[in-house]
Amino acid sequence: MAQRNQTLDRPVGIDTTAIRVREHSIERRARFRSASEPLGLLIALVILLIVFSLLNDRFLTVGNAQNILTQASIPLIVAVGATLVILLGSIDLSVEGVMGAAGMTWILLTANSRGGEGIGLWAWVIALGVALVLGLVNGLIFTALKVPSFIVTLGMWYVGLGFATILYGRDLFPRLTDPALTGWTSKLTLGLPNAFWVALLVIALGIAVVRYTRVGRVALAVGNSETIARSAGLPAFRVKVAVFAIAAVLSGLGGILATIQLDIGSPNVGSGLLFVVIPAVVIGGTNLGGGKGGILRTVLGVFLLTVLNNGLILSGVDTSWQSAVSGAILVTAIVFAAWSQRDRLGVAK
Amino acid sequence: MSLTPQRSRAGRFAALAAVASLALVGCTTTAGESTGEDAGPIAKEDIVLVASVINTTNPYFIANIEGAEALAEELDLPLEIVDSEGSSQTEISKIQAILAQGKKVVMFVNTVASSDTPTIVDAVKRAGGYVSIWWNKPDEFEPWDQGDNFVAFQKHPGIESGRCNAQAIGDALGGKGNVVMFPGVADSTTSQTRVVGFKAEMEENYPDIKILEEQPSNWDPVLANQNARDLIAKYGDEIDGVWSADDGMQLGALQAFEDAGLLEQVKFASDGLYPDTVKLMQEGYGDDAIVGETFHRGYMASAIGLYTAYLAATGEIDPSELPKEKRTSFFDIKCVTPDTLDEYAQYDEPGAPAAFVKQLIENGPWDTEPATLVGGGGPEVLD
Repeated sequence: MAQRNQTLDRPVGIDTTAIRVREHSIERRARFRSASEPLGLLIALVILLIVFSLLNDRFLTVGNAQNILTQASIPLIVAVGATLVILLGSIDLSVEGVMGAAGMTWILLTANSRGGEGIGLWAWVIALGVALVLGLVNGLIFTALKVPSFIVTLGMWYVGLGFATILYGRDLFPRLTDPALTGWTSKLTLGLPNAFWVALLVIALGIAVVRYTRVGRVALAVGNSETIARSAGLPAFRVKVAVFAIAAVLSGLGGILATIQLDIGSPNVGSGLLFVVIPAVVIGGTNLGGGKGGILRTVLGVFLLTVLNNGLILSGVDTSWQSAVSGAILVTAIVFAAWSQRDRLGVAK
Repeated sequence: MSLTPQRSRAGRFAALAAVASLALVGCTTTAGESTGEDAGPIAKEDIVLVASVINTTNPYFIANIEGAEALAEELDLPLEIVDSEGSSQTEISKIQAILAQGKKVVMFVNTVASSDTPTIVDAVKRAGGYVSIWWNKPDEFEPWDQGDNFVAFQKHPGIESGRCNAQAIGDALGGKGNVVMFPGVADSTTSQTRVVGFKAEMEENYPDIKILEEQPSNWDPVLANQNARDLIAKYGDEIDGVWSADDGMQLGALQAFEDAGLLEQVKFASDGLYPDTVKLMQEGYGDDAIVGETFHRGYMASAIGLYTAYLAATGEIDPSELPKEKRTSFFDIKCVTPDTLDEYAQYDEPGAPAAFVKQLIENGPWDTEPATLVGGGGPEVLD
């Protein structure tokens, strides 16, 4: 104490070493923390991989790796959009409906067993356009009419599903007739399934959007505090609409790929995906309250869930036990992986 | 996760709505009692036909609707369709809403879950309507214990379906090989009985066929596709045969095997002979990959169910005097192989539901080919 007083009594300048040292250590800890969170998840994933490969020697084969990559692709694509929406502090529940609507639109405009030559690339444009419209409606109702995103997107889920059901009508399942498209998602290019290449592209674009574009930065700012973002003059309104639109287009893309993967068009092509995507985002460590998180973490979350599902089947866990075991492993993995950020998940309310 | 509070709020809201509609049903019951459910048959002009299906995208349920429409047209009666959207909650609240309108309903319900049956039967009974339930009900909940308003429980036998598929795969593999199975929803009696029949047939007559694994796939082609991919990763070309509890899941499984380049060396069998499957079999898809199917049609089920309830409503049959197998009834299914496929083409031609309905009215609900009464009187048991 006495020493410090002496220092303060000095007439010349103020020694800020202590402050700088403290700042430095905070910064270092923050950097360590942001690296250690995904690291925990990565370790959990590696442990799962090791355990499953010990249980079945077919688990760690090239064939199964390609299978896992194919199965992870569509959730990855949809989860990139979902991450952006959750970074805003909102939620998009419409993914399955949008997938159905885009998938049905696409297959009916592509050469299929119900007849018609298809309109090629335009089918993609129109199907993604349908998704875009659904996303814009989501975004506009959410922002302009200030309806909670939970409600808006829940409604749009059923609008999308209804639209897909109308398109489906009462005819036979539409089947793809173009042999170039059949099975395209799981065909390999440079050793990786085509769908996974698409997913990689989407992930790269998603990361670029978050890091290097105004949309990404404003979305993060809005997620942190919309009031501050608005008072700083940031275009919160436009960015929110844009994020919902991007998410819907990605869901639409997922819907088209899921249709190709199944080879038949069905309004329910996205069934069950919502409860893979949202948990994957949260498990990855993106804060449900918005503002914190990122796409790479979501990627880890998707892989954790996909590997878990695949591994349980391959290791021969009895089917009636699978969901219970899968839930238990998941909770254990999360407790372990997210220990450092347990106060920050924002879902422990 | 954080969705739970919101969901439970939605659930509470649904419960409130259900209570409200129940209360309404209660009102109509009081009103109905004076005209009386026991006051004799309902006049034909007061009847509304109702067909309740699990969803409107599965080809089987679409056919259910077509059968109901054909019967409504033939009997010249109004028809309302209930789309349960895959949810018991939705199913029950929509049915209760219709009953609350105070109409005299004659109803066919393809229940989402077995456990929905008592609630639905109770509501229909109190509104003085008549109902036939198809496919799912609790074993101990028998029509004869519930009175005349629960006219009949009807289904196609699952054990027979499973046996038929097992024979097709067993024969196609020459009695030797490995099979994987994709049941439907694990706790569905329809799926369970098919599984039981399949396994029993394999055990009794094809002892060298090994069942590698079962992966319940919830009647969902997408899930069956994913599960098939995982089983291919697990067993590779050890798999010689694939059984699915319905054709929808089989379509998903077929695609997974095609993608893996294994289609030509694997044989498939399933239940339902969906028109999509007919097409694949005619094309000889995957070197005649589909070797066996069972034939029955959704339009026949709904027409039989509705017509049985209609006869009870108009007093042409007295349910309490019917033998038990006409209250809990099993209707014939046909075993189909690629060779006998053509015999069934007539049932998918345009106008086939209308033609079936004409026959049905002429012969009655239990004697119309190809879906004649073959058994019943209690839960299905392995013979």
